[in-house]
Amino acid sequence: MTENNPHSGVKEPSPELHPRPDATAVDTPVVQSQKAYVTLLFNKYRGSLYRYLTRLVHRDDAAELVQETYFRLLRHGETTQLEVMARSFLFHTATNLARDLRRRRSTRAADRHVQLDDQEILTDHSGPDAHLAGEQAHAILERAIAELPQDTRTVFLLHRFRDLSYPQIAQVMSMSARTVARKMSEAVERLSAALGQTV
Amino acid sequence: MRWFRRTRNVGQQASEWFVQVRSGRVDSHMNKEWASWMEASEDHARACEDRELTWELAEELRDRPVIQALLHDVDKILRDRQRPAVGATLRGRILSWQAGLAVLLLAIGISSYFLANQVSVNEYATAIGEQRIVTLADSSVITLNTGARIRTLYSRARRRVELLEGEALFSVSHDASRHFEVAALKGVTVAVGTQFDVQVEGSATVVSVMEGTVTVAANTNDSSVKPVAVSAGQAVDYTRDGAVSAIRPADAIRIRGWQAQRIVFRDKPLAQALQEYNRYIKVPIVLGSSALATRRINGVFRIGDEDAFLGALQQGLHVEASSTSDGQTLLQQVP
Repeated sequence: MTENNPHSGVKEPSPELHPRPDATAVDTPVVQSQKAYVTLLFNKYRGSLYRYLTRLVHRDDAAELVQETYFRLLRHGETTQLEVMARSFLFHTATNLARDLRRRRSTRAADRHVQLDDQEILTDHSGPDAHLAGEQAHAILERAIAELPQDTRTVFLLHRFRDLSYPQIAQVMSMSARTVARKMSEAVERLSAALGQTV
Repeated sequence: MRWFRRTRNVGQQASEWFVQVRSGRVDSHMNKEWASWMEASEDHARACEDRELTWELAEELRDRPVIQALLHDVDKILRDRQRPAVGATLRGRILSWQAGLAVLLLAIGISSYFLANQVSVNEYATAIGEQRIVTLADSSVITLNTGARIRTLYSRARRRVELLEGEALFSVSHDASRHFEVAALKGVTVAVGTQFDVQVEGSATVVSVMEGTVTVAANTNDSSVKPVAVSAGQAVDYTRDGAVSAIRPADAIRIRGWQAQRIVFRDKPLAQALQEYNRYIKVPIVLGSSALATRRINGVFRIGDEDAFLGALQQGLHVEASSTSDGQTLLQQVP
């Protein structure tokens, strides 16, 4: 994936990302300031978001998804003034779009009964090619989850797959919410490290 | 291919921020702190991207067999400790497919393999009063005692068994390149090739060594706590808090006894004897008067032959047994 390194001159999406021109006519000052805020926020994280998306989908798709994410955000209206939360929402929206895209692509590929060998996958836009969404990364992550210390794993699974909040997990596992957060952070760190070791 | 950057300390910070943000508990002060951290280095942004990817990638594992097996345990915890606040968030469909899955898993055990790394995860369980012998791929043998449940995680690099409930005896085949570890409650017992028994009872775990030597480490944050070496004929126990007891003689007779489907009592107070015996039966035997508690009993009883046990008690201690309305067997002194 070295050629995929965003530092090495990979084309980033165009910086001219304007709100749709037809929308401006009816905008109130509040909406305009909201738009200005979203645009500011978006421009700040566009590079990071693009880099992130290239690891989930093909580069060309990533550039498109970045744009799409921006429009989604504009349409969404209310955006929290807490930048850290807004950034989180931005990435979450982008991930959902990437997942939809991959689902559409894999359905289409299955419809065509295309048999892809490894060589083809590396060049085909529909496959996740060398991205994190491949089987290898899945297997590594799955193994890393299985090998987490038991409590840490339980905390992680309850939050990730059962949608329990930290206080709820704290109650179920008879531990403090702080301990839950510590174990969550340990889990995220260990799992990220496991993925990171697959050079 | 380098998906993640190995910037360890930055990574930990990023993980902590990730967890903090997901909690939703962020105020403007924290936001400010985060912003200056984020702006301090491009590496920080990258580390955050890595954590987000890990999180999102995990979502895609939801339907894989190993994750399903692990979730099976998690759902059991939820069922056992369900309280209104938690119950309200559980979707009904989880519980319904879960019930079906539970039966399936207990019946056949879970067997799934990671294609890439050949880690195999299996689960084995026994019902109350049942025993079972499991031979693993490395020809180590695990004997499960009544009401036990274990999960084995085997890879080329390690042999790990989690004792989730009950008691099991581990006869470990020698393999110096792969430690054999048994995790129970919050501690880990490590062996190379030996035989030892691990029993989880309430909040304590007892490790008894029959052959060779093992090390027992309670999982605590206190790094000054060293693993304890336990040799043949010795036992230790540890609690959830990480307190490891002094070394004491192992109750080898009890352990050899259950291996032979026998419960052995030597000069045992009746209350303690019943506590042990009740592990093997679904309808517990209880005492009608505290005076009986300190009466001592001796004998060897076959697991599963409760009539013989009650017969011996009635004769030897001059008591009579009756069924109570709440489904217990009551022992009372014959007047």
